[in-house]
Amino acid sequence: MKIIESLKIKEKVYIEKLENGLTVMIIPKETTNKKYAIWGTHFGSNNNHFIMPNTNEEVYLPDGVAHFLEHKMFEQKNGKNSLDTLMALGVDANAYTTNNHTAYLFESTEHFEEAFSELMDYVQNPYFTDENVEKEKGIIGQEIGMYDDDPGWKLYMNALDCLYKNNAIKIDIAGTVESISKIDKDVLYKSYNVFYHPTNMVMVLCGNFNPKEMIENIKSKLIDKPKQGEIKKIHPEQNLDINKKYKEENMEVSKPVFMIGFKDIIETENIIQRHIAIEILMNMLIGKSSPLYQKLYKEGILLAQPDLDYEFGDDYAHVLIGGQSKDPEKVKEELLEEIEKQKQNIDEEHFNRIKKKVYGDYVVEYNDISDISRMLLSDYFKGINSFDYIEQFQTVTLEYTKQILQEVFDEKKCIMSVVKTK
Amino acid sequence: MREEIIDIKEGIKFHKIQTNKFKTNLFAIFLNTPISKENVTKNALLTSVLRRGTKELPSQELISKTLENMYGAGFDCGIEKSGDYHTIKFYLEVINDEFLPKKEDLSKKALELLLSIVFDPFEENETFKEEYLEQEKENLKQIIEGKIDNKSTYAFERCIEEMYKGKPYGLYKYGYIEDLEKITSKELYKYYLELIQNCKIDIFASGELDEKITNFIKNDKNINKLEARKFDYDIEDKKEEVKEPKIINDSLEVTQGKLVIGLDVLSDEENVSYITMVYNTILGVGANSKLFQNVREKASLAYTCGSNYMKRKKIILIRAGIEIENYEKAMEIIKEQLENIKNGKFTDEEIKNAKNLIFANINNIEEEQDTEITYYLGQELAKCNITIDEYRQKIEQVSKEEILKIANSIKINTIYFLKD
Repeated sequence: MKIIESLKIKEKVYIEKLENGLTVMIIPKETTNKKYAIWGTHFGSNNNHFIMPNTNEEVYLPDGVAHFLEHKMFEQKNGKNSLDTLMALGVDANAYTTNNHTAYLFESTEHFEEAFSELMDYVQNPYFTDENVEKEKGIIGQEIGMYDDDPGWKLYMNALDCLYKNNAIKIDIAGTVESISKIDKDVLYKSYNVFYHPTNMVMVLCGNFNPKEMIENIKSKLIDKPKQGEIKKIHPEQNLDINKKYKEENMEVSKPVFMIGFKDIIETENIIQRHIAIEILMNMLIGKSSPLYQKLYKEGILLAQPDLDYEFGDDYAHVLIGGQSKDPEKVKEELLEEIEKQKQNIDEEHFNRIKKKVYGDYVVEYNDISDISRMLLSDYFKGINSFDYIEQFQTVTLEYTKQILQEVFDEKKCIMSVVKTK
Repeated sequence: MREEIIDIKEGIKFHKIQTNKFKTNLFAIFLNTPISKENVTKNALLTSVLRRGTKELPSQELISKTLENMYGAGFDCGIEKSGDYHTIKFYLEVINDEFLPKKEDLSKKALELLLSIVFDPFEENETFKEEYLEQEKENLKQIIEGKIDNKSTYAFERCIEEMYKGKPYGLYKYGYIEDLEKITSKELYKYYLELIQNCKIDIFASGELDEKITNFIKNDKNINKLEARKFDYDIEDKKEEVKEPKIINDSLEVTQGKLVIGLDVLSDEENVSYITMVYNTILGVGANSKLFQNVREKASLAYTCGSNYMKRKKIILIRAGIEIENYEKAMEIIKEQLENIKNGKFTDEEIKNAKNLIFANINNIEEEQDTEITYYLGQELAKCNITIDEYRQKIEQVSKEEILKIANSIKINTIYFLKD
């Protein structure tokens, strides 16, 4: 078993790759009474084009298969629903799908063993019939409709449309009513068998655990699966240029909402340092204490600090700054001006202050076992060790940050999506 | 017991919660006062004016910079109705000194800052700054007017308002526009000075705390300014049985109707609140409850259906979002569920599942700093002193007979329906 330790935040993670290929990560926390288990597969809405490992067959999936599978996994052959079974035990259970992974989880203070057996059982035993697959189309159709009515989701999807011409991240996680109509039980079994193979999955446990005992516990509950080679996932070619500068839509909102984006290159070498530097820069440009935010707040153009985000994966990377304003154009214009100003002259005191704040934000993530587990899982699928954010923090210098400011916050790579009042 | 209570002065208590579960220390100050129509709006406005600046840091920008320099310390404030109390809440969360890249006494600084936000606000000639007051009046106005935006919370609030018409608990926690407009800077400042000299003050600290923290609070210059105060406020809670349920219909532009049914628990039994908790969970908490299973799963009448128990007022509120034309049908099924429990039509399994859910919540109290603080504040205000283990035992002991007895004491007080 491999052990990685962070002395700064006093946490340890035990990592074991089992014989069947499943990776298990355990973060023991002796001081908590809670236990958290999350089991994820490296299969999300982006993965709609791949080569079958054992047959070399090239496969295109209809959009929304990963999410459809997530819905159907709870259904059991005996007619029971695993989610109800877990709830009756008093544990908090859930599942979710992102663009690159799907995860099944629960948090418990009691009945961990029963709940854990249920989790391992339902994730390993799919039960799809023509009938239960058809029934689900109606339910997921409702969910898609709900998202269509959500201005925040529309805003985000339109921002992605501005940033990328051809990229799987533009696919709606749930798919469309049209695309899910093509899903049947064979498509689900085929995808399940390839992507829910232990070699493509990771399990993270956080709480009052004994790592050695847990590894044995997991092994005893695993079902034998045939060996499988690597799944070759195919991504569309990447283009550095943006797709379009601006997209606008009208919906039921009390005040316009906006999202300003900057397309970034896909960095593999220094991704953590880059991420930290961008986090600092977004705060310096338009965070709570920044001169720009203070100005726009006084003028009544911004009423709350915008949400700041840097998203990246195998084939995408971008900055997103989103908020609500009566005048989104003005926000963008002033932001671009502020960027130029800081490119000329970056305030060192400001930099040091924000650097401290960002460090604090990373430490606070380790307060909660569910935050820890989800972060480790999603970073794992990105090929990142979460502790590195804490370890590499001091290496992010003012000089490096200035260089990233020049590189990333470039007007030519800037887009804006706006949803306006009807 | 993890909580240690220290009397700083009469009417001012310090609650110290020593715990090593977290990377952060959380500090909180609560100003508790009886809720009244006269003061409810002032309390709400005061909360947001106080966060605008202290004597030392007279603007929000300076406060933000200070918080960032404290490794992104998190400040928050708000206002809550807890039974017949109105509580003004302030929180500050900082990283425990142990996890800082460089040693410094961050927790002490944080506590000092929080105390000065509450007790040493920025003022000019014994008034709050006009600019801050005007901006915060505008913000509060938007919050009060925005009450209508979330239809399901609105219906919930309206039902309580109708159940407690003319009584303190029926007041809206953010106050009223007509009162807001009249408040002047001078008047609010005068009110503030009175409030901090008379209200019940509870200061909380949770985390890996320094031994000297109690002395530090006792000797803080802002605490020294405060006088001892007599605070004796007994919540009157006499319930009269209603003969016929009150029926209230409101109209707003909604596509989905919002049904809220207010129930009175008319029992004075000693353990009524624990028994009712189990009763309420069987009735309407979670996916295995009677309401969820029958109104949603079986009859497909509602997207959401469940119930909340308001312990301090001994009431239960059932909520359902339904198609407007399904009102009669939904009422029928909901009443049937109430009758079924009265007649003992619930299984030991349902009791077990309900207790499991409650245990999960109890076990969670010590796992979240703000949840634990809220729990102990509730105990303080209810003048009750039950450890988490005792709480658990009380739930464990609830029997089917006791649930039946409670079920038969429950009467519908108000049926509220929001439709188009």
